Amino acid sequence: MSASETRKKVTSAQTAERLKEEETAGSLSDAADVYYLTKDNAAFHKTEGQMLAVTIMEETHSAVYVHSSFPHTNKHMFLSVRTLENREIGMIRSLDDFSEDTQQLLKEQLHIRYFTPEIRKVISVKEEFGYSYWEAETSAGLCRFTVRGGGSHAKLVTPDRLLVTDVDGNRFVIQDISKLTDKEFRMVEMCMYG
Amino acid sequence: MNINYSLTEQDRIAATKAVGAEIEYCVPANLSLLGYRTAGSLVIGEKKWAYIEHGQAKEVGVITDSWAYKVIPLIGNVVLETEDEQGKRVLVRSTMEHAARFAYMAQVLNDKSASRQIRIFNHEEEVTCVKCGGGLVEGTRVCPRCTSKSAAFKKLFHVSKFHWRSLAIGLIVMIAASAIALTGPYFQEVLINGVLRPPDGQSPSMRLFYLALAAMIGGLVIGELLSIVRARVMANASSNIVADLRKMVYERIQNLSLGFMTSQRAGDVMNRVTADTDRIRQLIQELCTTAIYQLILLVAASALLFSADWRLACVVLLPAPIVAYINMYLWKHVLWKLYEKQWAIYDRGTSFMHDVLSGIRVVKAFGKEEREIKKFRTLHREFANATIKSETLFNMIAPITNYLIQLGQYVVLLLGCNMILDNQMNVGELVKFSMYATMVFGPISWMMFMPRWVANGLISIDRVFSVIDEQPEVLEAEKAVKHKIRGTISFRHIYFGYKSHEPVLKDVSFDIHEGEMIGLVGHSGSGKSTLINLVSRFYDVNEGQITMDGIDIRNIQQDDLRSQIGVVLQETFLFTGTILDNIRYSKPDATHEEVIRAARIANAHSFIMNLPDGYDTLLQENGNNISGGERQRLAIARAILNDPPLLILDEATSALDIETEGLIQEALQRVMRGRTTIAIAHRLSTLRHVDRLVVLEKGRIAEMGSHAELMEKKGIYYKLITAQRKMSKKNQSEELTG
Repeated sequence: MSASETRKKVTSAQTAERLKEEETAGSLSDAADVYYLTKDNAAFHKTEGQMLAVTIMEETHSAVYVHSSFPHTNKHMFLSVRTLENREIGMIRSLDDFSEDTQQLLKEQLHIRYFTPEIRKVISVKEEFGYSYWEAETSAGLCRFTVRGGGSHAKLVTPDRLLVTDVDGNRFVIQDISKLTDKEFRMVEMCMYG
Repeated sequence: MNINYSLTEQDRIAATKAVGAEIEYCVPANLSLLGYRTAGSLVIGEKKWAYIEHGQAKEVGVITDSWAYKVIPLIGNVVLETEDEQGKRVLVRSTMEHAARFAYMAQVLNDKSASRQIRIFNHEEEVTCVKCGGGLVEGTRVCPRCTSKSAAFKKLFHVSKFHWRSLAIGLIVMIAASAIALTGPYFQEVLINGVLRPPDGQSPSMRLFYLALAAMIGGLVIGELLSIVRARVMANASSNIVADLRKMVYERIQNLSLGFMTSQRAGDVMNRVTADTDRIRQLIQELCTTAIYQLILLVAASALLFSADWRLACVVLLPAPIVAYINMYLWKHVLWKLYEKQWAIYDRGTSFMHDVLSGIRVVKAFGKEEREIKKFRTLHREFANATIKSETLFNMIAPITNYLIQLGQYVVLLLGCNMILDNQMNVGELVKFSMYATMVFGPISWMMFMPRWVANGLISIDRVFSVIDEQPEVLEAEKAVKHKIRGTISFRHIYFGYKSHEPVLKDVSFDIHEGEMIGLVGHSGSGKSTLINLVSRFYDVNEGQITMDGIDIRNIQQDDLRSQIGVVLQETFLFTGTILDNIRYSKPDATHEEVIRAARIANAHSFIMNLPDGYDTLLQENGNNISGGERQRLAIARAILNDPPLLILDEATSALDIETEGLIQEALQRVMRGRTTIAIAHRLSTLRHVDRLVVLEKGRIAEMGSHAELMEKKGIYYKLITAQRKMSKKNQSEELTG
């Protein structure tokens, strides 16, 4: 078992323990009034119009959106299922609470909502006058984009994961900056502090 | 904004086949649902829409078959959705650069679907540089033509040229000093050849000895005196230049729109005004004193070396290109970046400190001092590491290049001695040559240090001019006029969003009459504060028009407009200074009587009079030495002092207790009488007396009318009022029973 897998398991166990404590603590849990969706009370399906729909207790919501509570640190835990009007229908504690097919469907929806191509190779980063001009090979193909300096437009969201937001609001991510080559790191490093 | 992109021939054929001969709109839809970038386009014809990709119409639809076309902003992408008989569906998807275009397309499709006339206020033009008219780098305000490094130096030169007199004097002094320095070796030669070791057949001359000695001492003294004059003149000039520069940055910061300022960290902006401009001062000082002086010495001494013996001159100057290359390489590829990183980390540390010290109460309330100390330690360790890294590298490289330069000197001695033995040169000539050589080595060695201060200085120029070159989003119209506001305001089909594809206000239209009191009501996020931000013209509307007495506010001078609007915001900000200064902020020439009158109206007079120093009480940063309610009352006094024809109250009394609020409300009503007032209040009871209430719901006007009318209507306002009443009753009964 790899170190990261072990860590994940430990984290899940800790979360479950904490939740249990919270439940027993009572008041906070009651006050939060979270309605959890599981395979027993909710059925998800995709509509013909490529939208996600969910049926809960015989009531069908024809278009819902899946929001992740921790899109960078734990994308598949504590998902919020919401309507377009931003009303929460319920929360999913973990994708593991659903069948393989539903998991796949929900992952797909998360992928659509959080479109963040992964930077696989940094080709060049040129900085000039408050902007940096990037060229990178990403999971969505070759991308050239401009990032504004200052204001944390390239920031570490975890100790390893760098989120880069360009001037239009497009997001790119470097999953693990420690895996960059020295040359790539030197180029990227400048923008992290800009 | 381009909303009719050209298609490739292949795509155009497919598009015309799908939607008809005339393509009315065409925008890129460059993302597939699976997350791949595509070369697709959304094409709209008269009655149909189509998604075209690689010469094929992948999807086609009749516009009227669907309704509720809507852009859904997701994270890092947008989708265009619609609804038909089968339910909701996704039409197309795009990355964020086309989000605003998608918003326009949704508007077009909705208008077409409802058979309305298409109403597109496409004011968002593709931006061009205001100076040269050329295209800007996409998504930025950077003009590649106007902002290059040489352009930055040019700008610096432009700022410097107003001080040309001091600079010219400095330059003359420098030339004189270098000329005097260059005479030293000549007198050395005279001394040696004329007295110490005269050529065969000549006797030593003591007269010549004293003359040469006097000239050498005189040269030394005059040289030192000139260097003192040079330093004084240049310190003066560089300080004045930087004072100008600081003024420019500060002025620009003041003029930049709220949008830019909120996107920057206060500590970072502060550093640009202070630390960066100071580094530029050092750069100018070094450049105009040492650099030019060393350059003159280098050129002159090299010329004299070549005239003395070209072969030896070549030996002396041989290491120069290597050193120059090393310098250039290090400057460009290593040091520049290292120093930039070092300063960026420093900025971050300063911002962090600013942040924590501003919120010190929260830190203390949660007992998180230790945690903040740890964070600070980490940041400053990072700064120390970055400094160590750049300094270590610099100090490692310096001795190597020094050694390379020194090498030439030994070769000169070796060759020179051989030439003396062969009678090709005398001792005096060799000494003179060695001294000139030293003069050449001096500037070359010194130039090794050049990357250090030039790197620092250039980065600072880069950072300072990135603020100076930033264009304000709210621009003054060319023929903006002064206008005495009477108080009639018209909102005509206002659309506005802080991001153009996410409208906060949608099709807002209503009129405010002169002297009318308007209450803005709605849930949080409904667009109330945004609407008043637009009235003050902190932002420009995306579509539509706001007029003041019939004049578009974009045609009124911004200063003039804002000076006639009294604003009291929820978050008050008071400056360090006396209470008198703070109230006088809106009208610096107000008399004491006017100040007292305003304070009385704002119900601030009593508490001020109770203070030992009265109106002369010195307020600490943001008035931290008085209570929130007192701060709010001072803000109200400040807003009404100027007797503004238009008053904006954004939760002006929210920080006050019920009793004080009641007192102020009563006073405010006196002030508001006959004066156009727009008020936002969380406690709706405070708005009961306004002439008209405007209820905003998700950026649209949902209801409008007097308190009685809206209560009768039993709509949103009624619900809000009853909810608040219930809450209030509940609290009261709890208090009574509790």
